[in-house]
Amino acid sequence: MSSPYVESYAVDGTELVSIGEASTKIKSVLKMLGIPSDLIRRAAVVAYEAEMNLVIHGGGGEMELEVWPECIKISAVDTGPGIPDIGKAMTEGFSTAPEKIREMGFGAGMGLPNIKRNSDGFELLSEVGKGTTLRSEILLQKT
Amino acid sequence: MTIGEICAALRLDVVSPGDGAREIENVIVGDLLSHILGEAREDWIWVTIQVHLNVAAVAALKELPLVILASNRTPQEDLAAKCREENIALAISPLRAYELCRQLAALGIGDARES
Repeated sequence: MSSPYVESYAVDGTELVSIGEASTKIKSVLKMLGIPSDLIRRAAVVAYEAEMNLVIHGGGGEMELEVWPECIKISAVDTGPGIPDIGKAMTEGFSTAPEKIREMGFGAGMGLPNIKRNSDGFELLSEVGKGTTLRSEILLQKT
Repeated sequence: MTIGEICAALRLDVVSPGDGAREIENVIVGDLLSHILGEAREDWIWVTIQVHLNVAAVAALKELPLVILASNRTPQEDLAAKCREENIALAISPLRAYELCRQLAALGIGDARES
């Protein structure tokens, strides 16, 4: 069994302007590995939205990219306040982002649906007071 | 039509020239970053009134080679610098987004047959 290519990225939760740093690195790595461009575009959306959530809601955290022969896995883990109602959080348009952040065009309640739409596999685990883990999988070879 | 031709035709105030010879396919207008992430396609123009650094990150990730700031919005300096660094064209128009898009349509950019 071959092992995956793995990289992890610390995401600073204090600076909105830093959103995109980890996703940009993820995109560069996928390009370097020769992943097809349509899959890179999907992975970039997943990574950016996940990174946005880490900064806006999670207080920062860690992202990890795994590239397997058959799929790309992106995860985002934080130890923030957690999501009380995942069903609500997955509803398009529902957002708990502060007004100031929304004015900048973030927090439109479209992030999680965007991630799910661009993923072949999607998992969101959260516990209030402990944090949230998001896992997305994009298949390289459709079976 | 190329980025250079569009900037000249609309008399845009060019902050970052980007790749002036690159051909544009279509236009998207919006100020919600997630909407642009979800809907925009490669080689589209992005018309927005957002002026902060994250505009460059979204444009780079979605490979949007020209961002036009409507309503005479001035980009924050770090956005201008990042666009130059990433070779993304960034330009300002005094027109509001609707009028700007009307003029882009008059140039023949964008149609109903979105790929």
